[in-house]
Amino acid sequence: MHSPMEQFEIKRLLNFHIGSLDASFTNSALWMMIAVALATVVFVFGMSRKAMVPGRLQATAELGYEFIAGMVRDNVGNAGKKYFPFIFTLFIFILFCNLLGLVPYAFTPTSHIVVTFAMAATVFIGVTIIGFVRHGAHFLSFFVPKGVPFVLLLLLVPIEVISYFVRPFSLSIRLFANMLAGHTMLKVFGGFVVMLGLYAGWAPLAFIVAFTGLELLIAFLQAYVFAILTCLYLNDAIHLSH
Amino acid sequence: MKKSVYSVLTAALVVGASGVAQAAEGGMPQLNFHDFAPQLVWLLIAFVVLYLIMSQLAVPAIADTLEKRQAKIQGDLDAAEKASEDTRAAVEAYQKRLSDAREEARRLTRERSEADASAAAAKLAEVGAKVTAQVEAAEKRIAGQRTQVMEGIEDMAHDVAADIYAKLAGNAADKGALGAKVSAAAKGSV
Repeated sequence: MHSPMEQFEIKRLLNFHIGSLDASFTNSALWMMIAVALATVVFVFGMSRKAMVPGRLQATAELGYEFIAGMVRDNVGNAGKKYFPFIFTLFIFILFCNLLGLVPYAFTPTSHIVVTFAMAATVFIGVTIIGFVRHGAHFLSFFVPKGVPFVLLLLLVPIEVISYFVRPFSLSIRLFANMLAGHTMLKVFGGFVVMLGLYAGWAPLAFIVAFTGLELLIAFLQAYVFAILTCLYLNDAIHLSH
Repeated sequence: MKKSVYSVLTAALVVGASGVAQAAEGGMPQLNFHDFAPQLVWLLIAFVVLYLIMSQLAVPAIADTLEKRQAKIQGDLDAAEKASEDTRAAVEAYQKRLSDAREEARRLTRERSEADASAAAAKLAEVGAKVTAQVEAAEKRIAGQRTQVMEGIEDMAHDVAADIYAKLAGNAADKGALGAKVSAAAKGSV
């Protein structure tokens, strides 16, 4: 029996090196590009007719757009419009990587902490820069809760600072751990089906079927959570809200 | 049944945990430092490509389509609103004309009936006057005949009285005195 972790191994399909930088095209890169291609099919070719009465693909594209547009509008407000394409791309990229990862033999790029952390760190750094550009040094007041006695501030300010810097970690680990756990679980139960054979193998098989449904939900949910937390962080930076 | 489910779950946990433990021993692929660079490079490429496609092609196309659809829906709604407004106005105009016509008809009918009534009254008055005149003439005639008859009766009474007197007295009566007495008696009785 294969290790359940084998599915997460990075395999170099084409070797590239830019100087000392290893830029090899891996299975992870392949599935990222497939996600990009599929997203392009849905959102560009799906919209090519620009029909007044949308077909299925166009309705899907519009649904995704309006979902994220509504999220940005509700959580960030009008100031968030500028950042909508980024959040939309983020959501679609994570969603397509997560969903494609459920295809048997596929690879899930979002099951790697380095990928999720890179995205979370980009969001974190970007949001922090936006905060400082918009408010200058006043952005630091974000760490000082209003209407709190000075003595309590000594305790609260470090907590606020720590919770702020924990954001990229919680954001990236949440997505990565969900993907890792889900896929490991599926693999482990897949192993059971083989181990238990014809007589009892149906039980873990039934579990896998049900669990795949749950994984579909999680694939969507984690993309949603990543996007909405990005919105909330952005809102904090723009409106200094607590 | 429940027991078997629990036993399977327990077994799953045990094997799962051992699998994770095994993997940790072999090292998680996620923690393999040499694989970081290619993933990050291709994440950057994939994300930037997707961002450009989305921000340059997909988002404007969708936003444009949604906006146009919204405008079309709004336009259609406005047109429908206007049409309904026009219909309401037309219905109101029709109703007004209808009520005007009805009023006019009522007025004409009333005038006509008033004219009829006055004509009838005039005719009635005319006929009434004629009848009254006839009645008066008849009454006059009756009264004239009556006096004539009365005078005749008086004369007759005079003659009868003279005859009775002649028969009783045997000689002719003084016509003047007897006549006056008879006339006085007739006047007293009448």
